[in-house]
Amino acid sequence: MSSEAVAPVIQRGSWALTARRLLRDPASIAALGFIVIVVAFAILAPAFEAWTGHSAIAQYRDTGMSAMGLPAAPNREFVFGTDHLGRDVLVRLAFGARVSLLVGVLAALCASVVGVTVGMTAGYFGGRVDSVLSRMMDLVMSVPFLLCALALVSVFGPSLQLSIGVIVFFSWTTMGRVIRGQVISLRRQEFVEAGRSLGAGPLSIMFVDILPNLSVPIIVYTTMMIPGSIVFEATLSFLGMGIVPPAPSWGGMLADAANNSLYLVAWWLVFIPGTALLLTTLAFNIFGDSLRDALDPKGRPRPRAKRKGVQR
Amino acid sequence: MAATNCFSRLALVSALAMTGCAIPALSAYAQDAQPGGTLRILATEDIDHFDPTSGALVTTMNFARATVRTLISYAGSTDETKRITPEGDLATEVPQPTDDGLTYTFKIREGAAWNAPSGPRQITSADFELGMKRMCNPALGSAALTYYTGLIAGLSAFCDGFAKVQPTVEAMKDYITKNDISGIEEPDDSTVVIHLSQRAGDFIYMLSLPTSAPAPVEVLDYLPDSPDYRANFIASGPYTPGDYAPDTSLQLVRNPAWKAETDPLRKAYVDEIQLTFGLTVDAIMQQMQSGDSDMTYDVTIPPAVLQTLTAAGDDKLMTVSSGNTNFIFINTVSGNNNGALKDVRIRQALNYAIDKAAIVQQQGGPTIAKPVNGIFGLGVLGYHEFSLYPSPDSKGDPAKAKALLAEAGFPNGITLKMPFRSKGIEPAIAQTIQASMALAGITIELTPVTASDYYSKFMTNPVNTKDGIWDIAPVGWTPDWAGGSARSVFQPQFSFDGTHQTYNYTDYNNPTANDLAQQAINATTPEEVGRLWAQVDETVMADAPVVPMIANLIVLYRGAAVQNFQPYALGVQGDWTNVWLQR
Repeated sequence: MSSEAVAPVIQRGSWALTARRLLRDPASIAALGFIVIVVAFAILAPAFEAWTGHSAIAQYRDTGMSAMGLPAAPNREFVFGTDHLGRDVLVRLAFGARVSLLVGVLAALCASVVGVTVGMTAGYFGGRVDSVLSRMMDLVMSVPFLLCALALVSVFGPSLQLSIGVIVFFSWTTMGRVIRGQVISLRRQEFVEAGRSLGAGPLSIMFVDILPNLSVPIIVYTTMMIPGSIVFEATLSFLGMGIVPPAPSWGGMLADAANNSLYLVAWWLVFIPGTALLLTTLAFNIFGDSLRDALDPKGRPRPRAKRKGVQR
Repeated sequence: MAATNCFSRLALVSALAMTGCAIPALSAYAQDAQPGGTLRILATEDIDHFDPTSGALVTTMNFARATVRTLISYAGSTDETKRITPEGDLATEVPQPTDDGLTYTFKIREGAAWNAPSGPRQITSADFELGMKRMCNPALGSAALTYYTGLIAGLSAFCDGFAKVQPTVEAMKDYITKNDISGIEEPDDSTVVIHLSQRAGDFIYMLSLPTSAPAPVEVLDYLPDSPDYRANFIASGPYTPGDYAPDTSLQLVRNPAWKAETDPLRKAYVDEIQLTFGLTVDAIMQQMQSGDSDMTYDVTIPPAVLQTLTAAGDDKLMTVSSGNTNFIFINTVSGNNNGALKDVRIRQALNYAIDKAAIVQQQGGPTIAKPVNGIFGLGVLGYHEFSLYPSPDSKGDPAKAKALLAEAGFPNGITLKMPFRSKGIEPAIAQTIQASMALAGITIELTPVTASDYYSKFMTNPVNTKDGIWDIAPVGWTPDWAGGSARSVFQPQFSFDGTHQTYNYTDYNNPTANDLAQQAINATTPEEVGRLWAQVDETVMADAPVVPMIANLIVLYRGAAVQNFQPYALGVQGDWTNVWLQR
């Protein structure tokens, strides 16, 4: 019909297509790049320790503090300066990144496991099971999380495990609701009925037939939960309820800066961990957003009405 | 007591005389006093006790100054000598003792009155004896009781009997009305005669403590310092509590029964004092700098703020000395680590391990604090330079500490629980202690404790000590009076006569030290007194019941509207009853 040369048709799998869509978006590349840098930074924390010769918890009172007890600004020995106890901010930032990523990723994974399990159960079985589980989600969502976290910590004392537990407890519900909704629509579809008529049991149907169809929301929501968990952990540490000092965490570093008006004389104590926290959460959010667009192009708003029918 | 940083316990003054206190700025004397207005004071925590009998924190002395009158008190003054010179408050003058120093006779000022429910009523000599009797009530007594029981004839017998009484309102009222202290006589309504069992040059100072204030007879109807007591507070000072929301705010309004002409020490310029509790140190300092507040209550100015203020040449800063020291109390009572802390070698190891220079630095540097090696602070007669556990530049000697630990059977180190007050720079100090101990193989587990509970509920609860809830604890102490105040450091904290004293957490006792202290109290020349107290200091430190850290000066800051800011010795703060406001 047309005289134009037709490009050879290449067959691409869905993962390849997703990757192509992702790579076409500069924001997602930047976000992914930053995440890789942060992960590398965290993994290489001991290398920074060796390179600077400063431990994350040692106090360098002669070189890292004035006689008046004020921290040293960024200089050659302390690239990012020191904190109120004369500790190297760079090294602490690196070790703090481990805590943030560990808590962020681990809590997001745990929360999504809980959320998917509850959501799938509620959506698939419906009826009374659904009512009970849905009300439970409503209940968790209505608990004031900071008050509850405060109470828990005052009873059990602050710890990493407790932080993760609190974060998981308060973040699985979003995932649970989304999955429940998806499962309700999926379970009426023909392939599920087909499976059932072939004699498959509920467990088999849920895991073999339905779960693979949920991979997009699971991946997207888990990614989006990571920044939330990182901020949550920072909040807990900022309030003194997270990681136990002297172990570093970004929220704890910000809290140290805010205490005793230290930020008045030491801008770097706010700027450095604050920037790290901001950029990391931003990167995860942008990446999660792009991932959703890439995995589910139909859900993406069309900015212009007229577009060529290019397969994106 | 004292709490750790400066604000500590009983307070008082001390020291002044010898420490170099810089007083950078005097208030404008040239202007005329302007009565009126509301003095706004910000605090991190509520007042520990309203009842002067049990009030012991340094900060509480300021509340007592405004609401309660004692026989003896001090003028608020920027002049160090004047600030610590006893003057008659309820007493018409400071009497010279007679009977070879054993008898003191006080005349109570005509017109000084209680704000009684039935209308103003003259304070009488019987009220003074009633106040003294309440000191050893079995419900909530005085933390300074042993000063008085050792001196006033018949007080210990009275207290021994009182200890057997049930701590109920009826039983205590009954005992107080039916028993007398043989050493306190009231020949008439305005004369108090006190007989001592031994001479004591510092007795007059003891009568300046609010714990020895007279009490009105109505208070016998309430449990000491109970909510009922607080709601029915009967003031003798120029102010009386108005609206009170615990842990939130307290308003002090004028006491209608107080007459300016009966009170030479308090001018009471402001109409109202508004205290706000529960704020963070940062919030307080910001409000102070923005002029939204006039004075602080219990704040140690953080080094960063101090630096900014000093750099800006702020003339509203004032440095005073209080004889305060900060140290670590060691729990020798609990069975933790198989009772390791009962072993003097381990306690000595702690003394070697501590990096005092780091704590000085954390506190704000050598202009604010200096390392100490004994129990007495700067300016206390008996303070002297010595160190039984020396280290280069006071930076600690971890090797020596490790060796002692190994010798005592802990070659792999030891783990100790240390509580700290979660406010201001306390967490930083705690982490500094933790880091220096870690070098010697001593692992410190930190437990934050709410600042307002630290002394009142946590440290002073003997069960916590016995059960080993804490192994070592940073605390502070400010002597109760000035100059010859070594007794007010030693006696309440380092002596034990069979009755647990609130601030001697572990019932530490050393008979040799007690003997020396007795000699020092009876000694006549300052040289002799100083020499003997110095020996007491060394004797106590040989046992290492504590780890001395620093002696510090206290930096006071006031809002721009505050005029005539004259520090009151017992409260180590500008005298609420003598400032005026110029907005």
